[in-house]
Amino acid sequence: MMWKERYRVGVDLIDEQHMELFKRLSNFIQIVQNDIPWEKKMGEVQETLDFMADYVVYHFDDEEKLQAEINYPDIEIHKEAHRVFKEGINDYVKIFEQGEFTEEKIKEFSAKLMAWLIMHVGKMDQKIGQYVREKGGQA
Amino acid sequence: MKAESINAFYSATQDVFHLMLDLGVERGEIKIVDGLVSSKDANVILGVTGDLKGTILFSFPKNMTLEMVKIMSGMEMNTIDGFVSSALGEVANIIGGNAATNLTTHNYICDIVPPQVIVGQYESLSLANRNALQIPLVTDIGEFDINIFLAEK
Repeated sequence: MMWKERYRVGVDLIDEQHMELFKRLSNFIQIVQNDIPWEKKMGEVQETLDFMADYVVYHFDDEEKLQAEINYPDIEIHKEAHRVFKEGINDYVKIFEQGEFTEEKIKEFSAKLMAWLIMHVGKMDQKIGQYVREKGGQA
Repeated sequence: MKAESINAFYSATQDVFHLMLDLGVERGEIKIVDGLVSSKDANVILGVTGDLKGTILFSFPKNMTLEMVKIMSGMEMNTIDGFVSSALGEVANIIGGNAATNLTTHNYICDIVPPQVIVGQYESLSLANRNALQIPLVTDIGEFDINIFLAEK
């Protein structure tokens, strides 16, 4: 299982979306890494990729809304990190659209996405939980 | 080579291993080596530009590499394929980025060039007869090295 308890931020909405994101990414990696020939799984890979790219944007928007509601002091730093993250995904989407939708490129992308997500949730998002706890909120 | 640059990479490695892999990292005795030799199964080369220029080489044994990616993905990994090597490269890249941030506190502004991963090759990178420093590092899942060759601009 890719999700780990230590990734928990302590805010239900964020944690539920993170769990969903890790689950989706895990499914994506399983499809990418299974032994089915590339030509036979390309469609499924594309479908999962599209869903995940959309879900990342949806989740980041929700997280930013929550940060605004709680007057999170580092909201601009966090928004910038989200922007860089989305740019990283979009760079690959462009590469895929321009014809390099290959098994090797998808493996490279899914591995990077995994590392980015772990680092973002494990480090940056934890600070939101810390702020909420300091303010005496849910956590 | 100043202690600041060694500490910047060691401390970044500790932070990233703790955050991404839930692993502690202990430092062994630093050695001086002739050139950068990718002596283990999976090697990541990072270029450094800016106030410090040079190369960082991470060398990992196969089993440790597979275990690192298993910890991150929650899935068994049997070979160092494109997925595993890309994940390893990205971990090293994140360490490099954090080390560059650490170096700014010592007034060194540096950039990290995207990683190059070499799997299963034993290559020597010439440093024009200059020495590099090798930091052996010990974790619960294996031992690896970081080789640092950095010169001030």
